[in-house]
Amino acid sequence: MIPQPVAGIQSIAEYLPARVATVGELHDRGLLSGSPETLRSFGFETVHLAGGESNIDMAIAAAQRLLDESDVDRDEIGMILYAAALNSSSTLWDGNGGSPNGSVLQLDSVPDLFKYPASVLQTELDLPNASVIGINQIGCASIFAALRMGRALIVAEDDLKAVLCVSADKFPAGRHRDLAYNLVSDGACATLVRRGGARNRIVACTQITKGALWDSENIENEIIAAYFPTATALIERTLAKAGLEMDDISLVIPHNVSLRSWEILGRLIGCPPERIYTDNIAKVGHTIASDNLLNLHRATEVGRIEKGDYLLLFTFGYGSNWACMIVQH
Amino acid sequence: MSDQSIFLTGATGAVGGDLLRTLATRSGLRVNVLVRRTDRSPCDRIKAILGDLDVTAKINVVEGDISCGSALGVDGDSLATLRRETTHIIHAAGTTSFTLPLAAARAANVDGTRNVLDFAGSCGSLESGAFLSTVYVSGKRRGIFAEWEYGDRGEGFINSYEQSKAEMEAVVRDAMCELPLSLVRLSTVVGDSATGRVSGFNTIHHAIRLLYNGLAPMIPGDPAEPVDIVSSDFVSAAVLHLVENAEPGVFHLAAGRDSSSTLEDLIGETVSALTQFRPAWRKRAVERPLIVDLDTYELFVRSVEETGNEVLKGATRSIRTFAYQLAHPKVFVTNRAAAILDGSGIAPQRSSEFYPRVVRYCLESNWGTRPC
Repeated sequence: MIPQPVAGIQSIAEYLPARVATVGELHDRGLLSGSPETLRSFGFETVHLAGGESNIDMAIAAAQRLLDESDVDRDEIGMILYAAALNSSSTLWDGNGGSPNGSVLQLDSVPDLFKYPASVLQTELDLPNASVIGINQIGCASIFAALRMGRALIVAEDDLKAVLCVSADKFPAGRHRDLAYNLVSDGACATLVRRGGARNRIVACTQITKGALWDSENIENEIIAAYFPTATALIERTLAKAGLEMDDISLVIPHNVSLRSWEILGRLIGCPPERIYTDNIAKVGHTIASDNLLNLHRATEVGRIEKGDYLLLFTFGYGSNWACMIVQH
Repeated sequence: MSDQSIFLTGATGAVGGDLLRTLATRSGLRVNVLVRRTDRSPCDRIKAILGDLDVTAKINVVEGDISCGSALGVDGDSLATLRRETTHIIHAAGTTSFTLPLAAARAANVDGTRNVLDFAGSCGSLESGAFLSTVYVSGKRRGIFAEWEYGDRGEGFINSYEQSKAEMEAVVRDAMCELPLSLVRLSTVVGDSATGRVSGFNTIHHAIRLLYNGLAPMIPGDPAEPVDIVSSDFVSAAVLHLVENAEPGVFHLAAGRDSSSTLEDLIGETVSALTQFRPAWRKRAVERPLIVDLDTYELFVRSVEETGNEVLKGATRSIRTFAYQLAHPKVFVTNRAAAILDGSGIAPQRSSEFYPRVVRYCLESNWGTRPC
């Protein structure tokens, strides 16, 4: 018997900039620090590049699409959780582009330090009943924290019916787009966590933070080495928390890091490749915090998920944070 | 042994050095130690090994080299004396590097041993000789490895060290028809059981360091299979006892299944010891290495190689040199050695009882880079 849902991930919308660049093009433009052959071997082909769009532009675009496509009454949305992976994404920094919705952040300008994207999002989307909270400092795991907090708030507050969770990240222009042998894309995702939502019922959420591994620049090797054992431990812990085993999981919804790393992690957690939805790694790349929702959305669209399926979402964020979630579709 | 004369090779190595330190405290014993000249004189090298030990044996340093023919590079008068007075030989010299090209490993371990055997044949008073080998002449074999068995049984070897030692054994076996010799196969020697002191840092100690530094995400193997390690004091005492008392034959100085921790337990003991002896290490939140199948480990190693990351490549290569043995688990039978050692008070200690002291020594000496 399927338990009564507390909260579920009801609708998802994504925004990816139209501009696409191949690995070869990035290499030719000096936007890779490593070898293009290694990135191709690890499963990457293209990424999306924001041009004039800032992170807030992409966030608004994804959230607006969600609201347009969803049957939700806007007045029911009582909370916006704006998840930013990059520190810059929690500001109104324009990403070296020029944004109609943001302003260029100047750290020496005190007024600029009090300008927040979550507020801009609320007013641009016309969600007067929604209060806002920004979530950051957990890298690519930020959207997991938003979903977890959204569910927890619905449990805690009787009058909260729906929480809008949004993530959007724009990588700085002109910088190397390969991080720890992964290829970074720009993009945004938005979702609604709704009270009593039976679709994508959130079954279990877990997170491990290893603060000792905060310095992603200088201890990258230790972070890479910690990735697999910690990921394996967390996934096993999450399955145990949900009372499930790996065989109960119909599909793993990954973050779009290298295909090779998922090949290895799949072996470690006892999940065959056909049950890991890696279809978007090659063409989309790693959109920082938006990967898992984007993949959940697309897996649903292409019919890879059936009602009642248990899905396991996993990601890693600098900081260092490992996050996992099991939902039932 | 007080009226005997022992000829020792390899005293500047880890096991040979431990043997020398043990022999040095035996009153009345004469020990002729063959030592190569390097940038330091042979005497200085031996003094460094003996340190402040209270030496009661008569130690005679002989300059020479096992690669220099049957005379071992020893000058004429000294050679004649050695041939006349040597009653026991302990041949501990050779290379223990896992990464040498096979030809170089053979030159050290096979050709050098031939020369020592020629020398042994010329010793008129020879009563016994112990030629040190390794239990890993068994190569990629899995399961039980008895003392009467030889070689890899066609399964192949993990590295050139194993193969060259197996070839060395064949040379010694031929000589055993005519000379009173023993082959003494050692398990992995990790340190002194009482103090943890490490004479020579090997791949096990490097693996501990990688774990300490958070650079050991996974190792191949079976969590439930034993990892055979022994203490240096057990090995020294047992080798000397075998030389003194053994009939010619092949002997395993190994912990065996009963005294070994499983791979999973050994990793746990390592983490516990690091946490106990370096409490601040806990803050680093290093996850235990995963124990994985060989295919997964190979995939990880291949991926690291592709990235070109020198630090991680170095780490995986370091583990790779020995960890592949963990993926070919085996149990070393010690019946013959146990029978000879029975009643002597010499027996392998349970590894869980002394291994934490070795980890502590690694920490306190910073893997041999500072006085401890």
